[in-house]
Amino acid sequence: MDPPFKRLTLPAIAGSISAFSQFVRGGALAAGVAENEFGKLDLILEEILVNVARYAYSPESGAVEVAYTPVGPHQLLVEIADFGRVFNPLQADPPDLSRGLAERPIGGLGVFLVRSMVDSIAYRREGDRNVLSFTFPLDRGDAGENE
Amino acid sequence: MKIEPTELEKAVLLKVTGRMDAENAHEFEEACERWITHGTKHLIAELDGLQYVSSMGLRSFLSVAQKLQSASGSLILCGLHGLPRQVFEMTRLIGVFPVFETTQQALATL
Repeated sequence: MDPPFKRLTLPAIAGSISAFSQFVRGGALAAGVAENEFGKLDLILEEILVNVARYAYSPESGAVEVAYTPVGPHQLLVEIADFGRVFNPLQADPPDLSRGLAERPIGGLGVFLVRSMVDSIAYRREGDRNVLSFTFPLDRGDAGENE
Repeated sequence: MKIEPTELEKAVLLKVTGRMDAENAHEFEEACERWITHGTKHLIAELDGLQYVSSMGLRSFLSVAQKLQSASGSLILCGLHGLPRQVFEMTRLIGVFPVFETTQQALATL
C-alpha cells in the first residue's frame, strides 16, 4: 500500500511558492527523484501555484494545500487544492507555438509547460475544492537524457 | 537573480544569473525597458548563469523582444543551457528569438 499523503497549507500567494517547493523537494528526494530533476518539479509547482494565486480567490484571499505521496516505485503524486471559485486550468486552449515573434501571445505557456513535464495531470472539483493532481516520474533522471 | 549590464559599441550585454521566476521576472523586463528608453536597439542576454526560467520569465523575454522588434532592434539570447534551454525548446521559442552559443557569435551578426 502506498504511504499516506504529506500535506502543507499556506496562503495562496506567490510568496508561498518557494516554501511549497522546499516541501515537495523533501518528498521527491526521499522518493528517489534525481536532484537534476528538481528544477522541473519547481517549474510545475510554480506554474500551477501562480494560477491559483491569481484566479482562485481574487480579489479576496485564501489558502492552498499541497500534498504528495509516492505512487508505486516510479512516480510521485502531487495534489494542489484550493477552496476558491471553480477553475480548471486544463481547459485553456493550447497556445499556438507556430507563430513568429510579432504575433506570439506573451501568455498561456505555463499550463503547456506543465503538461510537457508531467506523466499525467487531472482536474477535479471535490465539494468546494479545486484539486489539480499530477504524477511526476521518479526514474527519468540521467537515463532518459542519455537515450 | 542578478542582472549585470555592459555597454558595448553596437549593443548592451545583460548578464543574467540565478533564477528568473514569477517573483522577479519583472525586474528583467524593467532593466531592459530602461535601456530601450535610453535608445538601445540591440540587447544581448547572456544566459550561461541562468539556472531556471518559468513562463513568467518567458513572458518578459517575449515582451521585451516584441518592443525591440517594433523599434527595428532585437533581443538576442546567448549561452542557453540546461533546464532554461529545455523550456525554450518545449515552447518552440528557439527560432522565435535569435539564439547563439556565445556573445562573440551574436555580436558578429550586428
